[in-house]
Amino acid sequence: MKYFVSVNGREHAVELVERLGQLVVAVDGKTLDLSYEEVDDLGQVIVMRDGKSYGLSIEGDAARVQVTLAGHLYDIALEDERERAAHAADRAQGKGGGVLTAVMPGVVVEVLVAPGARVTKGEPILILSAMKMQNEIGAPADGIVKEVLVASGQAVAAGAKLVVLTPAEGG
Amino acid sequence: MFQRILIANRGEIALRVIRTAREMGIECVAVYSDFDKKALHVRMAHVAVPLGGNLPSESYLVAEKVIAAAKQTGAQAIHPGYGFLSENARFARAVTEAGLVWIGPPPEAIEAMGDKIKSRRRMKDAGVPVVPGLVDPVEDARAALAAAETIGYPIALKAAAGGGGKGIRIVRDAAGMEGAFRTASGEARSSFGDGRLYLERYLDRPRHIEVQLLFDRHGHGVHFGVRECSIQRRHQKLLEECPSVVIDDATREAMGAVALRAGAAVGYQNAGTVEFLWSNGKFYFLEMNTRLQVEHPVTEMVTGVDLVREQLRVAAGEPLGYEQGAIRWTGWAIEVRLNAEDPINKFLPSTGTIHNLRMPGGPWVRLDLGLYRNMEVGVNYDPMLAKVIVWGADRAQAIQRMRRALQELNVGGVRTSAPAALAVLEDERFQQGDFDTHFLEKLDLSRARGDLDELVAAAAAIYRHRIARQRALETSSSERAAWLARSRSALSNHVAGAARREGGGA
Repeated sequence: MKYFVSVNGREHAVELVERLGQLVVAVDGKTLDLSYEEVDDLGQVIVMRDGKSYGLSIEGDAARVQVTLAGHLYDIALEDERERAAHAADRAQGKGGGVLTAVMPGVVVEVLVAPGARVTKGEPILILSAMKMQNEIGAPADGIVKEVLVASGQAVAAGAKLVVLTPAEGG
Repeated sequence: MFQRILIANRGEIALRVIRTAREMGIECVAVYSDFDKKALHVRMAHVAVPLGGNLPSESYLVAEKVIAAAKQTGAQAIHPGYGFLSENARFARAVTEAGLVWIGPPPEAIEAMGDKIKSRRRMKDAGVPVVPGLVDPVEDARAALAAAETIGYPIALKAAAGGGGKGIRIVRDAAGMEGAFRTASGEARSSFGDGRLYLERYLDRPRHIEVQLLFDRHGHGVHFGVRECSIQRRHQKLLEECPSVVIDDATREAMGAVALRAGAAVGYQNAGTVEFLWSNGKFYFLEMNTRLQVEHPVTEMVTGVDLVREQLRVAAGEPLGYEQGAIRWTGWAIEVRLNAEDPINKFLPSTGTIHNLRMPGGPWVRLDLGLYRNMEVGVNYDPMLAKVIVWGADRAQAIQRMRRALQELNVGGVRTSAPAALAVLEDERFQQGDFDTHFLEKLDLSRARGDLDELVAAAAAIYRHRIARQRALETSSSERAAWLARSRSALSNHVAGAARREGGGA
């Protein structure tokens, strides 16, 4: 099984092969002397590499994982080959635009755009209040506001759809 | 001394107060919202009274409910902690009028310092240096633009009423004024019910230096030296230390004297902090926090004085009982705040349920926390979960110790600010004392060390591989269960049919 693993934005290819019940691990084409053992079912893991033991904490799901090692946080995105192909196709078709989602739970304080408005990348689209701070949420790319899905005063969960953008014509 | 006090707060500060009170043989009454019914402060108090409601505005901020809880449980005094009602003069007055003791400054002092404009005016009159800026707040961006021309950019916009970093924005040029004014004013209005802002010059390479004060009720006050809190982001402090690399003994005494003058000018009592901006060897009054501050432990570690104990003593009417000369500073202390936020993702709030919790320990490590396994971290309360405080013989040792402590730490379920603090502590400029209040904003936090990338990437892939395999096993076991269920029902139909046939035959 081959995975594309992005560690804090740095990409690595990891290949896992099960051979005689043992997992053979290669990173960027290089086979590692490595073993992996769970300490508990909460995400505490011991990884041995070249005779050295590292205590890691791992949590997350299939696509997004976070690893803590000696106090440092590693933000990791994972794709297998099939997902990578599908994502590449999406990106090729998308050409900007898309759906703006809430990156955190909060309350919409004010929507600064109306459907039909032309926005440029980074332009404030709405103000989201979370943990007593107000945050301006900017347009992810140039585009035209197709639909506004929230109203001021509305509470939104993380990942909730806020605004739908269509790619700017000819832009 | 009091026999029983009520703590009108939650989280780590409620625990902090409970701990000292218990050591002094004072009983503690906790109050809590429905959301907090399992919280640590509820479990560690002698008595806990539900306030009902989930939001702060339905619970911790309802003065009548808090005072009723104190009366009902026979508490003699109320400690407000920080935040919530701690700097609410009306509440302080209501506490006193209910026949209870307010463990804090007189309401008049809270009012005098609570309004930034009035306090600046008052401090100017008392001979305390202040930053160039407006004396009166403005209501709209147009007035702000006009005022900015006379003060000079960069400009700091600040809520006329308030603190804690809410309603504050920095404006670099005229083009940025309108957007900044709108969000800052909106924040100020929703947090404090007053959207007016005031403007002042933003200082070059400023450092945040503050002086801890303590006054008794007999007009006697001392200072406990300085703390430096320059490691902050959007005016939310992340890491604090006591003392500061830029403050020598003479400057400390000069700042202490000015701070005491500021406190005396408003008739201060109890613990309070005068915040200064320090730039190029000069210091300017910023504001006074009329309460115990989050970062008070670093001062406690270096002076050996329990500030909460002193608060309780002077609130009970006891004289300080010592002079300025009795305060001694030994070694160095650092505090790191663990906020539920994602340092890799612009410090956005992080929510979830705490699990996989491992807190640091060992020599000279102190934990002030309200954190526990299965705690739900939501968006309605302050994101600060815990504080790690260390002491060292000197600054270098304190830095080493904090790095060690943060390496031991693990908080699962939410992301925390700890990795950001670790990155600060590992930065050579920080270690050499070369930083200002913009340091954290400019620090590249994605630049985690790359030497363990391969190991981490491999571990993540194996983790995913194991999840996938587990799911596959679950699927096959559920398929097996479905097959069993189908065959059982077929069997029972068959048996029932046979029984019917038999019955029909009889």
